[in-house]
Amino acid sequence: MRWYPVFLREVLIFQKRLFRLGYVVSIIFTPLLYLLAFGLGLGRQVSVAGSSYLDFLLPGLIAVSSMINAYTWISTNLTVSRLHFRTLQIYLQAPVSPAAIVVGQVLAGVLWGLLASVLLLGLGLLFGGAVRVNPVFFLALVLNCVTFAAFGVVVGMKSRSHEDNATFSNFFILPMAFFCGTFFPLETIPPALRYVVLVLPLTHTNILLRRPDFSLETLISLGVLVFYALLFLWGGVRIIRNYSE
Amino acid sequence: MIETYELTKQYPKTLAVDCLSLTVAAGEIFGLLGPNGAGKTTTIRMLTTLTKPTSGFARISGFDVVQQPLKVKELISVCPQEINVDRELTAYENLLVFGKLYDLKNLKDRIAAALEFGDLAHRAQDRVQTFSGGMQRRLLIARAFLSSPRVLFLDEPTVGLDPQVRRQVWDMIRRLKTEGVTVMLTTHYIEEAEALCDRVGILSHGRLIALDTPGALNEQVGGFVVESLDRGRKKYLLVKNKEEAYALAQSEPEGVIIRETNLEDVFIKLTGERLAS
Repeated sequence: MRWYPVFLREVLIFQKRLFRLGYVVSIIFTPLLYLLAFGLGLGRQVSVAGSSYLDFLLPGLIAVSSMINAYTWISTNLTVSRLHFRTLQIYLQAPVSPAAIVVGQVLAGVLWGLLASVLLLGLGLLFGGAVRVNPVFFLALVLNCVTFAAFGVVVGMKSRSHEDNATFSNFFILPMAFFCGTFFPLETIPPALRYVVLVLPLTHTNILLRRPDFSLETLISLGVLVFYALLFLWGGVRIIRNYSE
Repeated sequence: MIETYELTKQYPKTLAVDCLSLTVAAGEIFGLLGPNGAGKTTTIRMLTTLTKPTSGFARISGFDVVQQPLKVKELISVCPQEINVDRELTAYENLLVFGKLYDLKNLKDRIAAALEFGDLAHRAQDRVQTFSGGMQRRLLIARAFLSSPRVLFLDEPTVGLDPQVRRQVWDMIRRLKTEGVTVMLTTHYIEEAEALCDRVGILSHGRLIALDTPGALNEQVGGFVVESLDRGRKKYLLVKNKEEAYALAQSEPEGVIIRETNLEDVFIKLTGERLAS
């Protein structure tokens, strides 16, 4: 599978942007604001489930940050390169399979998602937060990036304009960031809404990042993430295979 | 090498290509000539697997473009009409990614040769966004040649190039012919079609209305044109030979031009429209 050139192109572009002033800050700007406002401001007076709010918030913000970065990079880049610059068409007319295009793109998304997560984790620890990092934590983070990068492929291939992209963000990504247990525990959500939230992938990333144990609950949450990851990967491959201008 | 049978693309509001049937032999330079909106680009997009036909079929070297797209893509290379190079990357990086997509051996040497051909060796490490339009198009053409394809599709390849570079591109295309490469190009430049193409297909509103060698097409409409002015409007009269042309010119008032026919005259004769519409 010739996924490497697809990944290489994204990395080369990312390298160029990385040295642009303020780009690194923009990667984690929103979660950093939340961390400063809620984590440090509110967090010193409030405790959740027996620990400080900062400790509760930090894993959630890492989940959100990895989701937003993996998703946004891929969906925006695909939309722009397909509709405006038409550079995506280079892949579509080259001897690379739809699966290779999806894998290359998703791996790039994973890289950005992880980079943002590591930056935020470092800052969070610097501010005195505590996070349990173990293989389950890392696996959940990678699966979260794969899921949302693959969702980015689906959105990027289906959007008919930038506005479409914003619509997907507003109706799917943003509500998930707020309702999937990032800022408050799931137990505080009304039962009817809790069932809806439990179906969404970010909820399970939050569960896993907060309690990266080896338990049945962990397995269920990992299973949900794997299901979504495979669903969006399959969807992305299918859309690219059937793509026609 | 290229074969289409009743190839059709129907969009919701437009019939872009209508029952196109043609065969292009290996090593042939084939031109699709027609005005904007005639269906040239849609045809190229169908043949290069980017657009799925509504009906009919197309094969490249026996491989169906819909059923066996990867086999087709191993054989072809495309130089699209729009300059779709990565502007944030350098010229070298653009060619590097492209070469890796085709899994090319000796990639460094090939890239160096491509940059040399495009007269871009001195700008290899510069970002493409700093290039002029002409330089970007040269990079696009160099990229299309990089993979040494068996079949090369060029969609309006010399738009925006100065005459000297245009001739360089023509020479390169001719050289490919000697290497047995099949070339399909679209153009609305008459002189490009006449200078390069072994055969020309003329498209109008998605339909193939003529297909032959440029010489045979010109003969079909006469061989000579008498251009004159009729109440301020240009009038074209097609005749078979010079003698007829001179005789006709006698009866016309001032401002008469006698010249040999070209593919534009063929197009006007067949459709009543001008190519550069």
